Amino acid sequence: MIGDTILKLDKVTKVYPNGTVANRDINMEFEKGEIHSIVGENGAGKSTLMKMIFGIESPSSGTITYKGQEVHFQSSLDAIKAGIGMVHQHFMLINSFSIVDNIILGDEPTSGAFIDRKEATRITQEVSDKYNFELDVTAKVSSLSVAKKQKVEILKTLYRNAELIILDEPTSVLTPQETEKLFVQLRQFKEQGHTILFISHKLEEVKAISDRISVIRNGVSKGTYRNEELTMEQLTNLIIGRDLESDLEQFKTHEDFNNEKAMIVNDLYMERNGKPALNKISFAVKKGEILGIAGVEGNGQLDLIRCITGLEKTAYTGKITICGKDTTGMNIKGRRDLGMAYIPEDRMGDGIAGPLPISDNMISTYYTRDDVNKGMFMDNKAIDRISDELIETFAVKAENNKVSIDSLSGGNIQKVVVAREYNTHPKFMIAEQPTHGIDIGSAEFVHHKLIELRNEGVGILLVSADLNEVMDLSDRIIVLFDGEIAGYFPNARTVTDQQLGMYMLGASHQTEEEIGGALND
Amino acid sequence: MTEKKAKSVNLSITNPRVFEVIKMVISILIAFAITFVILCLISKNPVNALVTILTGPLTKKRYIGSVIESFIPYAFSGLAAGVLFKSGAFNLGGEGIFIISGISVAAVACNALTTSHMLHPVLCILAAALTGCILMIIPSFLKAKFGTNEMVVSLMLNSIYSGVAMFITRKYLLTNTTSTIGTKDYLATAKIGYIYEPLRISPCLLLLIAATIIMYLVMFKSRLGYQIRLAGTNPKFAEYSGISAFKLAIVTAMIAGTLCGIGASCQLLTQTSFYQPDKSLVGIGFSGMLLSMLGRNNPIGIVVAAFLIKYLEQGTSVLYFVDRAIPSEIVAIVEGIVILLISSQYFLRGFREKKLLKEGLEKDAK
Amino acid sequence: MLSSIFGSLFTTRFLATVIRLSTPILFAAVASFIAASTGMVNIAIESIMTFGALAGILGSYLTGNAWAGLLIGLVVGILTALLIALFSMRLGASPILIGIALNTFADSLAIFFLYQIAGEKGTSASLPTKTLPVVNIPGIQNIPVLGQLLSGQYVLTYICWIVLILLFIMIYKTPLGMRMRACGLNANAARTAGINVEKLQIFSLVLSGMFAALGGMYLSLNYLRIFSKGMVAGQGWMGIAANGIANGNYGVLLLSALIFSAFRAVSIVFSSSTIFPVDLVAAIPYFAVFCFVTIASIIRYYRVKAGKVEEQ
Repeated sequence: MIGDTILKLDKVTKVYPNGTVANRDINMEFEKGEIHSIVGENGAGKSTLMKMIFGIESPSSGTITYKGQEVHFQSSLDAIKAGIGMVHQHFMLINSFSIVDNIILGDEPTSGAFIDRKEATRITQEVSDKYNFELDVTAKVSSLSVAKKQKVEILKTLYRNAELIILDEPTSVLTPQETEKLFVQLRQFKEQGHTILFISHKLEEVKAISDRISVIRNGVSKGTYRNEELTMEQLTNLIIGRDLESDLEQFKTHEDFNNEKAMIVNDLYMERNGKPALNKISFAVKKGEILGIAGVEGNGQLDLIRCITGLEKTAYTGKITICGKDTTGMNIKGRRDLGMAYIPEDRMGDGIAGPLPISDNMISTYYTRDDVNKGMFMDNKAIDRISDELIETFAVKAENNKVSIDSLSGGNIQKVVVAREYNTHPKFMIAEQPTHGIDIGSAEFVHHKLIELRNEGVGILLVSADLNEVMDLSDRIIVLFDGEIAGYFPNARTVTDQQLGMYMLGASHQTEEEIGGALND
Repeated sequence: MTEKKAKSVNLSITNPRVFEVIKMVISILIAFAITFVILCLISKNPVNALVTILTGPLTKKRYIGSVIESFIPYAFSGLAAGVLFKSGAFNLGGEGIFIISGISVAAVACNALTTSHMLHPVLCILAAALTGCILMIIPSFLKAKFGTNEMVVSLMLNSIYSGVAMFITRKYLLTNTTSTIGTKDYLATAKIGYIYEPLRISPCLLLLIAATIIMYLVMFKSRLGYQIRLAGTNPKFAEYSGISAFKLAIVTAMIAGTLCGIGASCQLLTQTSFYQPDKSLVGIGFSGMLLSMLGRNNPIGIVVAAFLIKYLEQGTSVLYFVDRAIPSEIVAIVEGIVILLISSQYFLRGFREKKLLKEGLEKDAK
Repeated sequence: MLSSIFGSLFTTRFLATVIRLSTPILFAAVASFIAASTGMVNIAIESIMTFGALAGILGSYLTGNAWAGLLIGLVVGILTALLIALFSMRLGASPILIGIALNTFADSLAIFFLYQIAGEKGTSASLPTKTLPVVNIPGIQNIPVLGQLLSGQYVLTYICWIVLILLFIMIYKTPLGMRMRACGLNANAARTAGINVEKLQIFSLVLSGMFAALGGMYLSLNYLRIFSKGMVAGQGWMGIAANGIANGNYGVLLLSALIFSAFRAVSIVFSSSTIFPVDLVAAIPYFAVFCFVTIASIIRYYRVKAGKVEEQ
């Protein structure tokens, strides 16, 4: 019955080998059958705490008590056996395997030495049907939508008879409507006796679903409260200790750039595996504006950006114009020479060379420019100076410009990336998930810099899975669904997230005339 | 303006440069320790053996001269491999390029294209450099354009070039001796003589020094070197930054191939009087790759490594007169251990991390 | 003359030769395949074949028993694999560099040990060694055509076929195989399913080392019955090439290995005549591998461009 403690954390602390203190003296109690949210901003220590509960990491000190017994999980297998399941934020699925194989992995039904496929399919379908998942378990995971994939993740925990289910930022990939459906499911689980740990930084959802809420800030627990006891403002203050500065509108200037276009996409069409990945997309980014692309991940954003930047290898038709010049056949270098800058989503993979010093990273996209060269050779003194100046302007926390960039925190790395792209003196900038996974201070800084660039006349294309970010920053918004523009909103101030959600899910679709405004306004 | 903090030299293990040096020294010590153990097992007088290996070459002028003369082609091979590895390419074609360049050298050296003592060797070198430059491109081109596995392709080419070289020798350049397959003798005008005979210093040494300086400037001061470093560390990032991976692959292959060709010429024209495709240049290409790893892909480090390895081999050769039990291959064991240890990022990392952790906690407490 | 040479390519004897030549390449191919299945890279297969070959023959010499030599060779293969695992997984060295390094001084190291035990640097011919037998299967050997192919092969060839079948079953039909494949496809997913990814990766490397060693020992203990410098002659790389072309497809893996073996057989047949230059004929198999690998990659390139496959 509700009220019995199922999981207890006593002075749990986690210090990483490089000296980072991720969690310090956390005391928390979770009751059986409740939906308990754990909130905090990115980097506050929520993930680490969950990793310890799930056995992926071990506490440096402190105890974890599960169902009355002290536990020392050596691996997630131990946690799974004890009845704890985890649905990860980034899906842990094997795309080329079927749903069945993904679910039975690690606990396969066997007949002799072989996998009993028949039995596996039977059991899996049974569990799926029991919870009304509406899945064909023999399908390959690669063919599933994002929401369905998440169902598979949840199914994995139920297959292993999880009593305590941890969901790590489950709604980050869902539309508002899909989130509602998930909440219905979670309440059903609660009725059937499961305990839910819900990790999120989205406060409206937390207030909607939780029985109790625990707050983590800077690795430390800020207390556990009943949902009813807490107002949104109080909750916000606990998390960051100040009011969330969400109105960036006040920093925007409204100069007239003559409606000039920084970048135009005309009739972009690309096929992949026989079906259209980008289906006749047309829009324009004006000088001095931020055009936001909203959409659930996987609806064509990646392909679109790769086409615009010139990195896409698959053939496509359509015309992309940057600063008035047709870029057909141009590689990324040519486009950068036209004035394009690009903050990539995969910061570590595309955005930096980890082991190299900050100075090397700081100039990589304009290393042929006169100000960093001296005749035949590179001007190391100038590079030094420029790097130091940018480090200061962008408040990058680093000892000097020679340390390897991967020794910095995520937020500081991103600031270097933004500083570099800023210093290319661009006319058109693409910002792809620009504040993903970085601390709130750095995120705010990046937002302010983007607005600064916008005010100076740069056309910015913002792609973000964070609907708040899109709505806070953008002047105009388009919604991508299934490789097409589903909706176009000429005034970001007047649209609500519910409305955007309808388009993101494909429940609404504007007429061609309305969408045409994306290009022609 | 920020006030610059006084730049103090951090000599502790947390400084990455110091750490690298410490790692190198400890690796060498471990390698020698293990070698010593092996020596104890196979030799009656291990201490003497080790001492001879380390100091033998210094006992006679012609020993050290032999080292000076023989390390040059290997150094060129190492420089070539260094450029390729630094750019992240795994083009292992050096071996085959040496062998096929040798044919170019022999072809020019055996024909009276010019009577000038100065010009003839230069023509040989140019022919070899051109051959290497063009042929080395093939695996790198395929990798850059189609994503082909350049390791497999370059290694297959090595064997193919071996066969082709033998074929050409047999058909067109054959000498009259029947015991080995080799070309005719080079004309006297083609051979490279010594500047200072007692220590066997030839113009090739000057050529090597020039090449090393040029490679150093290229790698660390030029835009090309910057591109190579970036591409070698993170190819996706290089592409994102607008660096043409394709152009880079071709240019580095051309540089490497040229260096191989020059190296082949040096070997043939100073140390042989005719070319045997299955003997004269075999192994230099592959050795270059090991030298590059020892030298951490740094031109100066590579050349130093080449000299030291050849020195040690000469040491074992001196030892051989005294103690037949120790073959020169023991140097390969030393090389191998050092390479394994210094390529390991985490070797000694434990110590460094503890120090870093201490420093981190001290800073935190302030 | 020319027609008779080409004619001889279509005889049973030729096929039997192909089978005899295929064993080391098949071993090398599955060695590469099994390591790749868990996401590991084993570039050192050529060197492990060399070490295995030497260890096998020296082991046979020292113990007086060829099968004991086989065991010793297997142990050497396993130890080398563990060495690679240690340096690449625990100590953070690039497995590719380790592989290149091992391959490059495999010959030197082998000669060193050979010299210590046999006093020779070239071959082990001076040592009296027991070798492994040929097996004639009583019932089968009398079947026309097939009999010549299926019976009378070296014992390690039969062991190779058994390994190929068992490996297929393990990888695709057992839980262990599925877990290994999971490690290679998405190590994080495997980890959170409770699988000890590291352990399986080491296991796959160990198997890889064993198969490579068996490939080498086929050459020294069965086929040539001696160890000689450079005897592996690129067959390890052909196995790696076969795995690269196969890209996870077991059937293509075996087929590629057989095709490469066929070219080696062609090279041998051609070299017996005086029509073709002997050096170019010797280069045929390498040229064949070069062509196949290049063409396969070009095909893949254009398929990605047409949007038919996901970029790897």
